[in-house]
Amino acid sequence: MRKRFKPLLNHNSEFALDLAPLLAVMVKLVPVLLVSSAFVQMLIIETELPQVVQQAIEQQNKDPKATQVAVEVSRKFGVKFIITENGKQMVETVALTTEKELDLPRLHAKFQEIKKSHPEIFKIEMSPEEDVPYSDVVRVMDEARKSRSNDIKFPVKDMKTGQDTSTLYMFPEVVFGNTMDG
Amino acid sequence: MARKRFIPEIKKNQTFGLNITSMTDMFTILLVFLLQSFASGEINLDPVQGVRLPSSSTEKNLVDGARISISPTELKFDQLKVADVKDNKIASSAIDPNDSNFIKPLFDELQKFNKDNEKLAKTGKVLFQADRDTPYATLRKVMYTASMAGFPNLKLVTTAGN
Repeated sequence: MRKRFKPLLNHNSEFALDLAPLLAVMVKLVPVLLVSSAFVQMLIIETELPQVVQQAIEQQNKDPKATQVAVEVSRKFGVKFIITENGKQMVETVALTTEKELDLPRLHAKFQEIKKSHPEIFKIEMSPEEDVPYSDVVRVMDEARKSRSNDIKFPVKDMKTGQDTSTLYMFPEVVFGNTMDG
Repeated sequence: MARKRFIPEIKKNQTFGLNITSMTDMFTILLVFLLQSFASGEINLDPVQGVRLPSSSTEKNLVDGARISISPTELKFDQLKVADVKDNKIASSAIDPNDSNFIKPLFDELQKFNKDNEKLAKTGKVLFQADRDTPYATLRKVMYTASMAGFPNLKLVTTAGN
Protein backbone atom coordinates (compact mmCIF):
# COMPACT_ATOMS: atom_id res chain seq x y z
CA MET A 1 0.00 0.00 0.00
CA ARG A 2 1.26 3.38 -0.92
CA LYS A 3 2.09 5.67 1.97
CA ARG A 4 -0.01 8.84 2.17
CA PHE A 5 1.92 12.03 1.57
CA LYS A 6 2.08 14.25 4.61
CA PRO A 7 3.45 17.73 4.07
CA LEU A 8 6.11 18.71 6.53
CA LEU A 9 4.83 21.55 8.69
CA ASN A 10 7.28 23.55 10.67
CA HIS A 11 5.25 25.18 13.43
CA ASN A 12 8.12 27.34 14.55
CA SER A 13 8.65 28.99 11.20
CA GLU A 14 8.31 32.80 10.91
CA PHE A 15 6.98 34.79 8.02
CA ALA A 16 6.94 38.50 7.24
CA LEU A 17 3.49 40.04 6.81
CA ASP A 18 3.40 42.63 4.04
CA LEU A 19 2.06 45.75 5.74
CA ALA A 20 2.73 48.10 2.85
CA PRO A 21 -0.84 48.02 1.37
CA LEU A 22 -2.33 48.55 4.83
CA LEU A 23 -0.04 51.49 5.39
CA ALA A 24 -0.93 52.90 1.98
CA VAL A 25 -4.65 52.84 2.91
CA MET A 26 -3.96 54.51 6.24
CA VAL A 27 -1.84 57.23 4.70
CA LYS A 28 -4.79 58.10 2.46
CA LEU A 29 -7.41 57.82 5.22
CA VAL A 30 -5.63 59.90 7.84
CA PRO A 31 -5.55 63.18 5.84
CA VAL A 32 -9.23 62.71 4.88
CA LEU A 33 -10.23 62.26 8.50
CA LEU A 34 -7.96 65.09 9.63
CA VAL A 35 -9.73 67.48 7.28
CA SER A 36 -13.26 66.37 8.13
CA SER A 37 -12.85 65.89 11.88
CA ALA A 38 -14.43 68.29 14.35
CA PHE A 39 -12.03 68.79 17.20
CA VAL A 40 -14.33 71.20 19.02
CA GLN A 41 -17.58 69.44 19.78
CA MET A 42 -20.47 71.83 19.38
CA LEU A 43 -23.87 71.16 20.89
CA ILE A 44 -27.10 73.12 21.22
CA ILE A 45 -29.45 74.27 23.94
CA GLU A 46 -33.01 74.39 22.72
CA THR A 47 -35.19 77.30 23.65
CA GLU A 48 -38.30 78.83 22.23
CA LEU A 49 -38.94 82.47 21.82
CA PRO A 50 -42.40 83.78 22.49
CA GLN A 51 -44.09 85.00 19.36
CA VAL A 52 -46.51 87.85 19.68
CA VAL A 53 -49.49 86.00 18.24
CA GLN A 54 -48.56 82.70 19.78
CA GLN A 55 -48.22 84.40 23.13
CA ALA A 56 -51.65 85.96 22.83
CA ILE A 57 -53.25 82.62 21.98
CA GLU A 58 -51.45 80.95 24.85
CA GLN A 59 -52.59 83.69 27.17
CA GLN A 60 -56.19 82.97 26.22
CA ASN A 61 -55.85 79.25 26.73
CA LYS A 62 -53.83 79.59 29.87
CA ASP A 63 -55.02 77.71 32.87
CA PRO A 64 -55.10 80.25 35.71
CA LYS A 65 -54.49 77.54 38.29
CA ALA A 66 -51.31 76.19 36.65
CA THR A 67 -48.15 76.99 38.56
CA GLN A 68 -45.66 79.19 36.78
CA VAL A 69 -41.98 79.58 37.57
CA ALA A 70 -40.22 82.75 36.48
CA VAL A 71 -36.49 83.26 36.94
CA GLU A 72 -34.92 86.71 36.91
CA VAL A 73 -31.14 86.90 36.56
CA SER A 74 -29.29 89.99 37.71
CA ARG A 75 -25.65 90.93 38.28
CA LYS A 76 -26.74 93.01 41.26
CA PHE A 77 -28.86 90.68 43.38
CA GLY A 78 -28.34 87.23 41.84
CA VAL A 79 -31.23 85.01 40.77
CA LYS A 80 -34.81 85.69 41.81
CA PHE A 81 -37.43 82.92 41.63
CA ILE A 82 -41.04 84.01 41.28
CA ILE A 83 -43.43 81.10 41.73
CA THR A 84 -47.06 81.86 40.93
CA GLU A 85 -49.48 79.28 42.28
CA ASN A 86 -53.25 79.69 42.49
CA GLY A 87 -52.88 83.42 41.91
CA LYS A 88 -50.40 83.80 44.79
CA GLN A 89 -46.81 84.85 44.23
CA MET A 90 -43.85 83.54 46.18
CA VAL A 91 -40.49 85.23 45.70
CA GLU A 92 -37.17 83.71 46.69
CA THR A 93 -33.66 84.89 45.88
CA VAL A 94 -30.32 83.16 45.55
CA ALA A 95 -27.76 85.89 46.17
CA LEU A 96 -24.41 86.26 44.41
CA THR A 97 -21.26 84.90 46.03
CA THR A 98 -18.76 87.20 47.75
CA GLU A 99 -16.85 87.36 44.41
CA LYS A 100 -20.03 88.72 42.77
CA GLU A 101 -20.52 85.53 40.78
CA LEU A 102 -23.59 83.32 40.47
CA ASP A 103 -23.81 80.84 43.33
CA LEU A 104 -24.29 77.78 41.12
CA PRO A 105 -24.49 75.04 43.81
CA ARG A 106 -27.16 76.97 45.73
CA LEU A 107 -28.95 77.77 42.49
CA HIS A 108 -29.05 74.10 41.55
CA ALA A 109 -30.33 73.17 45.01
CA LYS A 110 -33.08 75.77 44.68
CA PHE A 111 -34.14 74.38 41.28
CA GLN A 112 -34.24 70.89 42.81
CA GLU A 113 -36.35 72.17 45.68
CA ILE A 114 -38.85 73.83 43.33
CA LYS A 115 -38.99 70.74 41.13
CA LYS A 116 -39.64 68.51 44.16
CA SER A 117 -42.63 70.59 45.15
CA HIS A 118 -43.88 70.99 41.53
CA PRO A 119 -42.89 67.83 39.62
CA GLU A 120 -45.49 68.50 36.91
CA ILE A 121 -43.69 71.64 35.71
CA PHE A 122 -40.98 71.36 33.05
CA LYS A 123 -41.02 74.89 31.71
CA ILE A 124 -39.58 78.06 33.20
CA GLU A 125 -39.70 81.64 32.01
CA MET A 126 -36.31 83.27 32.17
CA SER A 127 -35.75 87.03 32.20
CA PRO A 128 -32.10 88.07 32.42
CA GLU A 129 -31.26 91.73 32.93
CA GLU A 130 -29.61 93.65 30.10
CA ASP A 131 -26.04 93.49 31.46
CA VAL A 132 -26.04 89.75 32.19
CA PRO A 133 -23.42 88.04 29.99
CA TYR A 134 -24.40 85.17 27.71
CA SER A 135 -22.19 82.72 29.65
CA ASP A 136 -24.22 83.39 32.83
CA VAL A 137 -27.48 82.82 30.95
CA VAL A 138 -26.15 79.44 29.75
CA ARG A 139 -24.97 78.57 33.28
CA VAL A 140 -28.40 79.20 34.79
CA MET A 141 -30.02 77.12 32.02
CA ASP A 142 -27.55 74.31 32.75
CA GLU A 143 -28.39 74.34 36.45
CA ALA A 144 -32.12 74.28 35.68
CA ARG A 145 -32.08 71.58 32.99
CA LYS A 146 -31.09 68.40 34.79
CA SER A 147 -30.37 67.14 38.28
CA ARG A 148 -26.64 66.61 38.72
CA SER A 149 -27.16 63.90 41.30
CA ASN A 150 -28.36 60.53 40.03
CA ASP A 151 -29.93 59.92 43.44
CA ILE A 152 -32.28 62.86 43.11
CA LYS A 153 -34.98 62.00 40.59
CA PHE A 154 -38.41 63.41 40.05
CA PRO A 155 -41.66 61.56 39.46
CA VAL A 156 -43.24 61.81 36.03
CA LYS A 157 -46.22 60.05 34.48
CA ASP A 158 -45.74 58.31 31.13
CA MET A 159 -48.62 59.61 29.04
CA LYS A 160 -48.62 56.55 26.75
CA THR A 161 -48.60 53.78 29.33
CA GLY A 162 -49.99 55.73 32.28
CA GLN A 163 -47.25 54.34 34.51
CA ASP A 164 -45.32 56.38 37.05
CA THR A 165 -41.64 56.72 36.33
CA SER A 166 -38.80 59.05 37.33
CA THR A 167 -36.54 61.46 35.50
CA LEU A 168 -33.42 63.49 36.12
CA TYR A 169 -34.78 66.36 34.03
CA MET A 170 -36.06 69.34 35.97
CA PHE A 171 -36.76 72.31 33.72
CA PRO A 172 -35.52 71.47 30.21
CA GLU A 173 -37.79 74.00 28.53
CA VAL A 174 -36.68 77.58 28.94
CA VAL A 175 -38.54 80.49 27.41
CA PHE A 176 -37.03 83.94 27.37
CA GLY A 177 -39.84 85.97 28.85
CA ASN A 178 -38.56 89.48 28.28
CA THR A 179 -37.59 89.20 24.60
CA MET A 180 -40.57 91.17 23.43
CA ASP A 181 -40.36 93.85 26.14
CA GLY A 182 -39.45 97.30 24.97
CA MET B 1 54.24 57.57 1.02
CA ALA B 2 50.71 58.75 1.65
CA ARG B 3 48.33 56.26 3.16
CA LYS B 4 45.42 55.23 0.92
CA ARG B 5 42.06 56.44 2.18
CA PHE B 6 39.55 53.70 2.96
CA ILE B 7 36.53 53.82 0.68
CA PRO B 8 33.71 51.46 1.67
CA GLU B 9 32.30 49.35 -1.07
CA ILE B 10 28.82 50.47 -2.03
CA LYS B 11 26.59 48.20 -4.01
CA LYS B 12 24.53 50.50 -6.22
CA ASN B 13 21.70 48.06 -6.97
CA GLN B 14 21.25 46.90 -3.40
CA THR B 15 17.65 46.66 -2.06
CA PHE B 16 16.67 46.60 1.60
CA GLY B 17 13.52 45.83 3.51
CA LEU B 18 12.11 48.71 5.52
CA ASN B 19 10.46 47.73 8.77
CA ILE B 20 7.13 49.55 8.70
CA THR B 21 5.48 47.73 11.60
CA SER B 22 6.00 50.57 14.07
CA MET B 23 4.75 53.11 11.55
CA THR B 24 1.63 51.01 10.94
CA ASP B 25 1.07 50.87 14.72
CA MET B 26 1.27 54.65 14.90
CA PHE B 27 -1.15 55.10 12.01
CA THR B 28 -3.59 52.61 13.54
CA ILE B 29 -3.69 54.61 16.80
CA LEU B 30 -4.09 57.85 14.84
CA LEU B 31 -6.87 56.36 12.72
CA VAL B 32 -8.81 55.16 15.77
CA PHE B 33 -8.52 58.59 17.40
CA LEU B 34 -9.65 60.37 14.24
CA LEU B 35 -12.57 58.00 13.69
CA GLN B 36 -13.66 58.63 17.27
CA SER B 37 -13.55 62.40 16.89
CA PHE B 38 -15.11 62.29 13.42
CA ALA B 39 -18.15 64.52 13.33
CA SER B 40 -21.05 62.16 13.92
CA GLY B 41 -23.82 64.76 13.62
CA GLU B 42 -25.68 65.44 10.42
CA ILE B 43 -24.66 69.09 10.51
CA ASN B 44 -21.20 70.57 10.34
CA LEU B 45 -20.92 74.03 11.77
CA ASP B 46 -17.76 76.03 11.32
CA PRO B 47 -16.70 78.03 14.37
CA VAL B 48 -16.88 81.76 13.72
CA GLN B 49 -13.66 83.70 14.11
CA GLY B 50 -13.57 85.73 17.29
CA VAL B 51 -16.49 83.94 18.91
CA ARG B 52 -15.68 82.14 22.15
CA LEU B 53 -18.69 79.94 22.74
CA PRO B 54 -19.79 79.24 26.32
CA SER B 55 -19.57 75.65 27.52
CA SER B 56 -22.65 73.77 28.56
CA SER B 57 -23.73 70.36 29.87
CA THR B 58 -26.33 69.93 27.12
CA GLU B 59 -26.26 66.66 25.16
CA LYS B 60 -28.17 67.68 22.05
CA ASN B 61 -26.47 67.52 18.68
CA LEU B 62 -26.58 70.27 16.11
CA VAL B 63 -29.61 70.65 13.87
CA ASP B 64 -29.96 72.61 10.66
CA GLY B 65 -31.39 76.09 10.55
CA ALA B 66 -30.65 79.72 9.76
CA ARG B 67 -27.19 80.54 11.08
CA ILE B 68 -26.62 83.74 13.03
CA SER B 69 -23.43 84.61 14.85
CA ILE B 70 -22.37 87.54 16.94
CA SER B 71 -18.72 88.21 17.72
CA PRO B 72 -17.21 91.20 19.57
CA THR B 73 -16.82 92.95 16.20
CA GLU B 74 -19.62 91.85 13.88
CA LEU B 75 -23.07 90.35 13.52
CA LYS B 76 -23.24 87.77 10.75
CA PHE B 77 -25.99 85.91 8.98
CA ASP B 78 -24.33 82.73 7.72
CA GLN B 79 -21.09 84.12 6.25
CA LEU B 80 -22.47 87.57 5.50
CA LYS B 81 -21.77 90.49 7.79
CA VAL B 82 -25.01 92.33 8.50
CA ALA B 83 -23.95 94.80 11.20
CA ASP B 84 -20.97 96.09 13.11
CA VAL B 85 -20.60 95.41 16.80
CA LYS B 86 -18.70 97.77 19.03
CA ASP B 87 -18.32 97.48 22.80
CA ASN B 88 -20.70 94.50 22.64
CA LYS B 89 -23.41 96.71 21.16
CA ILE B 90 -24.86 96.53 17.67
CA ALA B 91 -24.10 99.64 15.60
CA SER B 92 -26.94 102.13 15.80
CA SER B 93 -27.01 102.39 11.99
CA ALA B 94 -28.41 98.84 11.84
CA ILE B 95 -31.11 99.48 14.42
CA ASP B 96 -34.56 100.60 13.32
CA PRO B 97 -35.15 104.18 14.59
CA ASN B 98 -38.74 103.29 15.56
CA ASP B 99 -37.92 100.06 17.37
CA SER B 100 -34.75 99.88 19.46
CA ASN B 101 -34.71 96.05 19.39
CA PHE B 102 -35.18 95.63 15.66
CA ILE B 103 -32.10 94.94 13.50
CA LYS B 104 -33.26 95.80 9.99
CA PRO B 105 -30.41 94.23 7.92
CA LEU B 106 -30.74 90.94 9.83
CA PHE B 107 -34.50 90.92 9.32
CA ASP B 108 -34.00 91.47 5.57
CA GLU B 109 -31.55 88.57 5.35
CA LEU B 110 -33.89 86.29 7.28
CA GLN B 111 -36.74 87.23 4.94
CA LYS B 112 -34.51 86.41 1.98
CA PHE B 113 -33.68 83.07 3.63
CA ASN B 114 -37.41 82.48 4.06
CA LYS B 115 -37.89 82.74 0.30
CA ASP B 116 -34.78 80.83 -0.78
CA ASN B 117 -35.02 77.95 1.73
CA GLU B 118 -38.73 77.56 2.24
CA LYS B 119 -38.54 74.04 3.67
CA LEU B 120 -35.85 74.88 6.22
CA ALA B 121 -37.42 78.22 7.07
CA LYS B 122 -40.71 76.51 7.93
CA THR B 123 -39.02 74.82 10.91
CA GLY B 124 -38.29 78.29 12.31
CA LYS B 125 -34.94 77.13 13.65
CA VAL B 126 -32.03 79.47 14.24
CA LEU B 127 -28.56 78.25 15.11
CA PHE B 128 -27.19 81.06 17.23
CA GLN B 129 -23.47 81.38 17.95
CA ALA B 130 -22.65 84.18 20.36
CA ASP B 131 -19.53 85.18 22.23
CA ARG B 132 -19.70 84.27 25.91
CA ASP B 133 -19.25 87.89 27.03
CA THR B 134 -22.07 89.29 24.90
CA PRO B 135 -24.59 90.99 27.19
CA TYR B 136 -28.21 89.87 27.15
CA ALA B 137 -29.33 93.28 25.83
CA THR B 138 -27.51 92.56 22.55
CA LEU B 139 -28.67 88.94 22.41
CA ARG B 140 -32.22 90.08 22.96
CA LYS B 141 -32.12 92.32 19.88
CA VAL B 142 -31.10 89.33 17.74
CA MET B 143 -33.73 87.09 19.36
CA TYR B 144 -36.41 89.71 18.90
CA THR B 145 -35.55 90.22 15.21
CA ALA B 146 -35.41 86.46 14.58
CA SER B 147 -38.76 86.00 16.25
CA MET B 148 -40.29 88.81 14.18
CA ALA B 149 -38.93 87.20 10.99
CA GLY B 150 -40.65 83.90 11.84
CA PHE B 151 -37.79 82.07 13.51
CA PRO B 152 -38.92 81.42 17.09
CA ASN B 153 -36.97 78.18 17.66
CA LEU B 154 -33.66 79.39 18.96
CA LYS B 155 -30.84 76.88 19.25
CA LEU B 156 -28.01 78.24 21.35
CA VAL B 157 -24.73 76.76 20.14
CA THR B 158 -22.30 75.87 22.93
CA THR B 159 -19.21 73.76 23.32
CA ALA B 160 -19.28 70.53 25.27
CA GLY B 161 -18.34 71.13 28.86
CA ASN B 162 -19.08 70.00 32.40
